[in-house]
Formats: sequence, C-alpha cells, structure tokens
Amino acid sequence: MSQDIATIRVTRYRPEKDGKPYFQDYKVPYRKDMVVLDALNYIKAHLDGTLTYRWSCRMGVCGSCGANVDGVPKLTCASFLHEFKGRTIKVEPLTHFPVIKDLVVNMDDFMHKLVEIKPWIIREKESPPEEGEYRQSAEELERYDQFSSCINCMLCYSACPVYGLNEKFLGPAATALAYRYIEDSRDQGKAVRFPIVHEIEGVWECTLVGECSVVCPKGVDPMLAIQKTKILGATNALKSLVMPRGGGK
Amino acid sequence: MSKEKPFPEYKRKLGPGWWLANSHFTQYMIREWTSFFVAVFSLIYIYELSLFASGARADALNLLKNPGVIAFNVLALLFTLYHAFTWFYLIGKVQPIKMGKTTSKPWQALLVNIVLLLIVSFAVIEILVLR
Repeated sequence: MSQDIATIRVTRYRPEKDGKPYFQDYKVPYRKDMVVLDALNYIKAHLDGTLTYRWSCRMGVCGSCGANVDGVPKLTCASFLHEFKGRTIKVEPLTHFPVIKDLVVNMDDFMHKLVEIKPWIIREKESPPEEGEYRQSAEELERYDQFSSCINCMLCYSACPVYGLNEKFLGPAATALAYRYIEDSRDQGKAVRFPIVHEIEGVWECTLVGECSVVCPKGVDPMLAIQKTKILGATNALKSLVMPRGGGK
Repeated sequence: MSKEKPFPEYKRKLGPGWWLANSHFTQYMIREWTSFFVAVFSLIYIYELSLFASGARADALNLLKNPGVIAFNVLALLFTLYHAFTWFYLIGKVQPIKMGKTTSKPWQALLVNIVLLLIVSFAVIEILVLR
C-alpha cells in the first residue's frame, strides 16, 4: 500500500522548561486508513518519545483523545489524515482548558460540573429489589435517549465561547446530562437539579451559539438540552406564580 | 497534602478576534450586533414621534426623508430580517414538533414563520397605513 507524508504541527508545552506553548512540526508517513491519533502514536514511538497526549480506545467511545485539529475540536481517533492532504495538520490542546503538558489539559473543572448535576437516578423512596426494575416505555426512553450518548470528551466545552469567557458557566455536556435525568421518567430529582441548572451561570448563561451541537462526535444536541431546560424552568416559574401552592412542581 | 501543582499550567484567554475563527461564530456575532441597529432605529423613531407630538410636523417629515435616515433604516431592516430568519431557524431546532413518526425540521419552522411574518406585516400595513 502506498504511503504519503503528512506534516503534523503539534503544540508543545513542557511546564518545567517552557514559559509558554510553541509548535513543533513532525513528518509522518501515512496510509489512507490512518487517523490523527495514529500520527501522534507514530511520533511518540519513532520521532519524539516526550510528546504527551491522552488516548485509550481508538474507536470514538472513551472520549479521551479530543484535541483541536485544524482549529476544530475533534476526536483525534476519528479524524482521518487523508482529509487534510497537502496541508499541515495543526493539533492543539482543547481550547478553554488549562494546559498541563503538550496536548493534555486539566479536566478538573469539567469533572466537578459533572458531579454537581448529580448524574444518577434520584428516587424519593427506593423500591426493594424484589419489586423489580423501574419500567419505562419506548416513548419515555426516546425523550432522553440521545442525551445519554455523551462520552464526556469535552469537545463541546472547547467549542463554546461562552465557557471560554466565563468558566463558571455550567456548560453544554453537564446540562445535557442533567436534562437526560430530568426527562427520565424513573427519576424524581427535579427539585434537586433545577436549582443547579437554573442558577445565573447555569442554562441562562447560554446565548445560543450552537457550536456545541455541531462538534459533538456522538450526535448529542446539548444546545437543545439547554433550551429545553430553559423552557422547563420558565414554565415552572410561571406555574408557581399562577398556582403558588404546588403549581411549580 | 499540599494542593499546589508542581509545575504551572498554561491558561489561555479568549482573544478579541475569537468570533472570526469560525463562520458559525461570525454569523452568531452578526446576530448579536443587530441589537445595535434596533436600538438606534428605536431612538430615531421615538424622536420622530416626539416631533409629531410637539406639532413640528414639517421637521418630522424632513427627518423621515433624510437620505442618511433612509439608508440607515434599510440597513436596520436587513439586520432585523437576518436576526428574525436566524431565530426562526433556531426555533425549529429548539422546539421540533412531532407529527406521528416524523419530527419537523428547522427549515420548516423557518418557512412557516416567514409566511406568518408576511401575513402579519401585510395585515398591519393594510389596517394601519393604507386605510
């Protein structure tokens, strides 16, 4: 099989040596079936063992290998080198997150936000196991199904300028996950999650840029989740106003 | 255990030109800027009304015929239509309507809203202007 040569321009940042990041070019031979992650692995194995980046599954499931490829947040395992033929491929760490080393960013803020929205089914009272599972119809599943496909790759945060301007913003993936549970017929945690997602820096910070939904590699639409959560919140507030005794529940 | 990190992390800030990095961002920012044109149009409109109210009808008509004001109104109309059309499209994305097994597409919401806009606009012109 014939091989072409790709020029990969990678962000390098070694905190013990460098004051700020810089670019380093590498020439990588590639075949048609190779992706950007394969190129990074080639660099690490054959050209420069000091290059640091995250990866795991190589098949778009784990969400570890996100990076800005040619300025767009992408999974490097799903970005084919031949699509950039004739161009230098710029690989940078995900935007808006602090860089720890080379392509590795600090995920702490995102992880805290995920935990904050309580991503598990909350029940007012747990049924004993012998009563069986909580049943759900196909229609009930459909209401939240797409939002449960998130792989926590953080591409949506990297694409979101609102998060870039205000890191307190709850952000796309965490809200999509919160909405996933809010819409789950088995969940009874609305009263717990609503105050979190409806804080000033919750869904109301979103100004509908929409890029989060464009870059999602799993077809999740966080923009939709955020707007649906806004509608639910506004409807609830109106109900509370009209029917103060329990209307907003 | 100390929480201090052994080496400094590199924090990047969003530069003033971030909205030029991507055509979607640029379209978004143009939609945000439409508020400037709407605000200025409203101020001119309120001033015209105040001229009419104070009896300075000739001054008000002169202002309406001013080429600069006409040019600005055309510009404001274009920006307002851009805002309206992009919002109509977003309505379709945010509130898709389920019809049996199919779900409405954003362009359908855009089309329906444009038709409604035309009907309401013609009705307003017919009732308030032509009568």
